[in-house]
Amino acid sequence: MFETGVRQFRLALGMAQGRRLNPRNVERLVEDVLATVAEFGEPGSDAAELVDGPMASPADRLEMTNNSLRRTAVRLAAQSPFYARHFSSAQVDPAKLDVAGLRAIPVTVKADLIERPADFRCTDVPACLATRTTGTTGRPAEVWLSRYEVELWSALGALGSVLRGELRPGDVMQVNLSSRSAVSMHLAVSGCRLSGAGCRPLGIVSPETSLDNLAEGGATILLTVPSYLGELVTAARRAGMGASDFRLRRIVVGGEVLSPSLARAAARTFGVALVDDPYSMTEIVPVTGRPCSQGHIHHDLNLGRTELIDLDTGEPAAPGALGTLVITPYFPYRDCTPVFRYDTRDVARCLPDAPLRCELPGIPATSQILGKADHLLRMPGGEIVTSRQIIEAIEALPASPWPARYRAAACDGRIRLTLPASALAGLDEAEARRHFATAGLDTDLDIVGDDQATSLRHTRSDMHETTFASQPALVGA
Amino acid sequence: MPVPIFPIPLWEQCLTLFCVIMAGVTLVCAGALTYFKRVRMERPAVGTFNARDVVILLVLIGVLPWVYGWLPVPLVTCLLVLTFGSALYIGYRPMLGPVGIWLGIGLLFGFNIWSSNHVMGTIAGWDLWYAEQSIAVLLSAIAVCNLYVQGGMKLRYVAWLSFGLACYDVVFASYYPLTGRLLARYITHPLTPVVGMRFGEVDYAVGLGDLLAYSLFFLAAYKAYGKRAAAVAAVIIVVMGGFATAFLPFLFNLTNANLDTLIPAQSLFGPAAFVTYLWMSRHYGRERTMAEYLASQDGVTGASQAEQVRAPEPASVSPSGVREVAS
Repeated sequence: MFETGVRQFRLALGMAQGRRLNPRNVERLVEDVLATVAEFGEPGSDAAELVDGPMASPADRLEMTNNSLRRTAVRLAAQSPFYARHFSSAQVDPAKLDVAGLRAIPVTVKADLIERPADFRCTDVPACLATRTTGTTGRPAEVWLSRYEVELWSALGALGSVLRGELRPGDVMQVNLSSRSAVSMHLAVSGCRLSGAGCRPLGIVSPETSLDNLAEGGATILLTVPSYLGELVTAARRAGMGASDFRLRRIVVGGEVLSPSLARAAARTFGVALVDDPYSMTEIVPVTGRPCSQGHIHHDLNLGRTELIDLDTGEPAAPGALGTLVITPYFPYRDCTPVFRYDTRDVARCLPDAPLRCELPGIPATSQILGKADHLLRMPGGEIVTSRQIIEAIEALPASPWPARYRAAACDGRIRLTLPASALAGLDEAEARRHFATAGLDTDLDIVGDDQATSLRHTRSDMHETTFASQPALVGA
Repeated sequence: MPVPIFPIPLWEQCLTLFCVIMAGVTLVCAGALTYFKRVRMERPAVGTFNARDVVILLVLIGVLPWVYGWLPVPLVTCLLVLTFGSALYIGYRPMLGPVGIWLGIGLLFGFNIWSSNHVMGTIAGWDLWYAEQSIAVLLSAIAVCNLYVQGGMKLRYVAWLSFGLACYDVVFASYYPLTGRLLARYITHPLTPVVGMRFGEVDYAVGLGDLLAYSLFFLAAYKAYGKRAAAVAAVIIVVMGGFATAFLPFLFNLTNANLDTLIPAQSLFGPAAFVTYLWMSRHYGRERTMAEYLASQDGVTGASQAEQVRAPEPASVSPSGVREVAS
């Protein structure tokens, strides 16, 4: 108990002063949380404050943000060749930077990261582990991490997970993510190790193989992407499997749009209360967003700054308007390949300018992610149709076509929607149009063969990794 | 050579001391148990009492007497005010609220400081001072005992702490009489950490540390294994902490010229508590956690899932043994 107090004090002091944290200290705090949970059944009532930071007054929060931004910018100006030029050309003095002056700095886009990755690397830390974006929305970007980051993120992630009861000893987490998602895989494995849970990193293998492992391997947590979850639900239904065949208590997905119809079906099939859909992205780790019961995404205050920028003006999005998330991970949480004002191109809607009434009212929030900015359909009259609207409408079709495969374009004031034939099974074209009209989408439909489905929209579940399980045994070495 | 003059026979003094110890033990154990059953102390988000805390406590117990011996008496009083004040504030704020607790502490300490300076000189004055002193010490012991046990201190750690205190007592009460010197220097000053009474010309007292050790052992046994284990712990406390401690001077004729006989109570109680813990752990099996204790109070059996995975019941514990553990 005395030692735990000292560790918490060291962590709080490091965070307040913006110095590099000691990952081992955080790991020991994870052990302390596990001991606390073992003794008392749950952490103390102040646990939320330990995870989210104290919900200080707006003035204190602003001061913390200004200090964090300055600290991060000063370091980047000194250590990152890209940002030294970037700040210089924007005529910004990093030491005097504050929230108000942030808009003077142009956003960093993915193309910068893809074209000049070496320029982003800080010169004062050796690189340890490279991770890549999956590349489903274009060329993959590569992000290098230092050993400090690798250790710190694992420890911080595990600390948050055990404090919230998301991971506990005895859990078995099955990870169905692309094996190239090195950071996600690493965080899952090391988070489980620190929490005393088991981890089974399977990759994107055949859904049948995953289902067998889920059912027979006793997994209690499933970590995957929505498109692969759709394939798993379809395969489970086909095999006649239901909630009684699984021990799952949590399903966590991310990286793609999760539709309510798929979430409901997955919860029913696998016997969980709900499907968690937090927000994260390779380029901006360790900054994350947490969903609440009212469908908001609450953005981490402690590890980074999240802005919602109007799609057209580049100014902060007005209440009710769409914007793209621009995120700045702070030092000392991001170390080797930091980004500053990174435009994620993930679109969300600015919430009405009123106090939040959800369970996380102290943490700023946006709507859930509505899709990528480059996939928006701009209709005549200014209406904007998001990927989420289309995916939710398609995945709610009676044929349960998960994951949604489609191509959409604005054409003569209407949405031209190309779908595989199987998606509309059981409906004629008029009924299908009415279905989409009910969802607020005025569509013209093009039907193509199911063999073209995958080419309509790439999903992360397409990055299949083969195994020898379904192939004849090889003879010889 | 001065000849000791006994106001009453030694065996009567021992009996009186036994009664004083038992009064203190009874009040502190009953108070601690009542508090434990009725009041849930606030606990930090993270942290439970562990083996390292026992080591830290023993180091503090080893170092603090030297500090107290070195510091001027007024500074010692300040430190004791801080220590007792913290214990009382943490322990009784949930019951009295912020205003009530500060008022209570102020009155208790104020009267204590006043009585230390104004009522001495008569036996009645001494007894008034002792009575007031004892209230502060008993309340503090009850609070600290609950702070530790509700903070997750297991019987295992109490046993080790008692064993460590036994070693300490042997050294600092017998071979190097630091404890006696400290008491002789500080007695009559405010917040002297003893519970006692004056009969005739003789003071009979039991120290705060001893009371804390007894109440910890009793309460931790109750939390770990239930009523029967608490009853066993009570017997050990009465026999080793009360009877043996009180009658040791009679049995071995331990007296000195000033009639001050400091008995190293923990050197008797500590080993007995440790052996009793070993017996209980073999007989009853794994200790209950706080979560399991609270669940048993709600009529629900079983630990949290995490605890069950980490610490399964030993194979040697029979079903009847499990029933015995549950209270």
